Amino acid sequence: MTDTFHAKNPVYPLFGFFAALLIFAAGLATAKHTEGMWYLLGVWVWFLLFGYWRSCLVIIPFAAVFSGIFAGITYLSSHETAATLAAVSRSAAVCLAVLPGLSLPAVKLTRNLSGLHVPRSITLGMMIVLSFAPLLGREIKRIREAMRTRGAGSLLNPKVFYRALLVPFAARIVNISDTLSLSVETRGFCTGKAPYTVYHPVKCTARDVIFLLGLVAGSVAVIVFCFI
Amino acid sequence: MNAVEMKNVRFAYTKDTWVLDGVDFTAEYGKITLLSGMSGDGKSTLLSIICGIIPNMTPGTLEGDVTVAGRDVRGMKAGEISRLVGCVLQNAELQIVQSVVEDEVAFGCENLAMPQEMIEKRVKAACAMMELDPSLKTRTLSGGQKQRLITAATLAMGQKIVILDEPLANLDKEGTHTLMTALRRLAGRGYCVIVSEHRLDMVLPYVDEVWNICRGVVRKVEDKQAYLHSQAEIISDGCAPYNGGRPVLTLSGVTKKFGRREILTGVDLTVYEGERLLILGQNGCGKTTLMRIIARLEKADGGKTEQFIDKKLGKRRACRRWFREVGVVYQNPNYQLFMPTVRREIEFGAESKEYADEIMDMFDLHSLASRHPQSLSEGQKRRVSIAAVVASRPKILLLDEPTVGQDYAGLQRLTDVLGKIHERDNNTMITVTHDLRPARALCDRAVLIEGGKVVKEGGKELVKEYFTGEE
Repeated sequence: MTDTFHAKNPVYPLFGFFAALLIFAAGLATAKHTEGMWYLLGVWVWFLLFGYWRSCLVIIPFAAVFSGIFAGITYLSSHETAATLAAVSRSAAVCLAVLPGLSLPAVKLTRNLSGLHVPRSITLGMMIVLSFAPLLGREIKRIREAMRTRGAGSLLNPKVFYRALLVPFAARIVNISDTLSLSVETRGFCTGKAPYTVYHPVKCTARDVIFLLGLVAGSVAVIVFCFI
Repeated sequence: MNAVEMKNVRFAYTKDTWVLDGVDFTAEYGKITLLSGMSGDGKSTLLSIICGIIPNMTPGTLEGDVTVAGRDVRGMKAGEISRLVGCVLQNAELQIVQSVVEDEVAFGCENLAMPQEMIEKRVKAACAMMELDPSLKTRTLSGGQKQRLITAATLAMGQKIVILDEPLANLDKEGTHTLMTALRRLAGRGYCVIVSEHRLDMVLPYVDEVWNICRGVVRKVEDKQAYLHSQAEIISDGCAPYNGGRPVLTLSGVTKKFGRREILTGVDLTVYEGERLLILGQNGCGKTTLMRIIARLEKADGGKTEQFIDKKLGKRRACRRWFREVGVVYQNPNYQLFMPTVRREIEFGAESKEYADEIMDMFDLHSLASRHPQSLSEGQKRRVSIAAVVASRPKILLLDEPTVGQDYAGLQRLTDVLGKIHERDNNTMITVTHDLRPARALCDRAVLIEGGKVVKEGGKELVKEYFTGEE
């Protein structure tokens, strides 16, 4: 989860995940219907209204490329416009479904789950995994730069290229995970029944309920329109 | 009661190779205790035993008695010991788990089950003590700020015993003063503070007791001043005075932003052929960013950067040919080491095997020739990475904090070798360092960066003025 996608005030994390499942299921189920397209557009606007404008805008180019690839493959294999549009709808549904997760800072999710007394080994593991992804991206970028400074960045010399990429990468991963686990242990983290508190508890508000109710109503409505 | 007491402690990572052999060590409440010694002599091992990393997470054979806050730590888990001892490890950057400063500082307090109001107070106090903005994103902090962040996160937890392993590695003069003053205040309030550090000149004025560790044996140092004199004398410059040369790089009005943060606001700088330029400035002032722009690893947002090394190198992005002329030594050597042995690492960029041999001689690397570079200690890795870059005979050599992790003897040797290579090859050296001891020996000219600009230029006298405040 990169900072680029983070919403300033995301909805209650568990509602966000429920919303993701709902969008995914309703989006896929109604992909062959025109109403399905309108539903996805409505969901996108709903996210905008709830302050997800940054992630809504950033996701557009990703969604365009992603759905373009799938639409292209579908059209080449079926030569049917309806099937191609359905592929676009499905890809858009997937992109919208990942939006609540992408927009959520890892700390909000872990604090939400900690508040619900989910075992700390799970919440902390989740947080480290979520913060690890951008860290790995940064590490690869740094290693690629370092390779160039040592004259080992050319693909024309694959043996050296692979060594210069993989050896520092493996060493860094081991080093990072060792240091992270030491850091967490020396800062009082225990997996047993030791008590802990949550600095900023994540609470469910009326805004979150309205968000979820609106989404549920929309999803039910589109399914009714398409199938009943 | 002593805060920490070790009696006849022996430790071996592998069977029968005792890293610590019969250690008797004590640290008292209300005092700052310094643990000093050469790289690889066992400082970090001793600290790891006190904070429970050994034997809980790093296995080995441990013998003898270790008492922390009056409790025998045998059989205690690291998580339990962490409630008695706050521990600031090396490599601050890798210890950060949260994306915002405030959350990172609060993390330990949450683990100790402090009430929300108390966490808020402690986060504010620790951030103020370490001069950090709680709302900053952790990934945007400089190396020194990250070090201060991890220190703040530990201090917020409030244990009465605090251990810091090389806390000054990435800190500038101001950062060091801020940290050591804070530790002094803690000691005044009855805390036991144990610091392991190479930069004795910076820490000795603040500490109460000094212990030296040598080949696994620890002894108390009685005469602090004599010890400081033997370990922290300013390294003298062995190179002839600089006679001037043509410009090889010019930067005019260079600006750089990261997000909304303006790092460089208009840098004007000319670098001359054959000079040794030292870049001075506080943590986060943009020294590393400036180096990266010079190295063409980063693109400036505004202004003009020109090179006069070779017309064929042009103005565009860095290519293989560029890095043959411009050698870059990273702050962290782990990124630049990839060959299976130290010898092959040096040979990789060297013009011939004979020249690689010569470089290995100069950097005293023959005893490590067959070792895998990634298996070496941090100080050794740094030596190898510098040697590997220097072996390609760059016309311009960029060194970002080359002396971190070097003990005094290693520092003297490294400074001396860099000087010899500079005189022989007439290379242009651009260095960023926070270490006073080798600073003057790595400098013909110095520039001071403040507010994203070059605000002062001078010779060795500027280095003295910057580090000691004496004009």
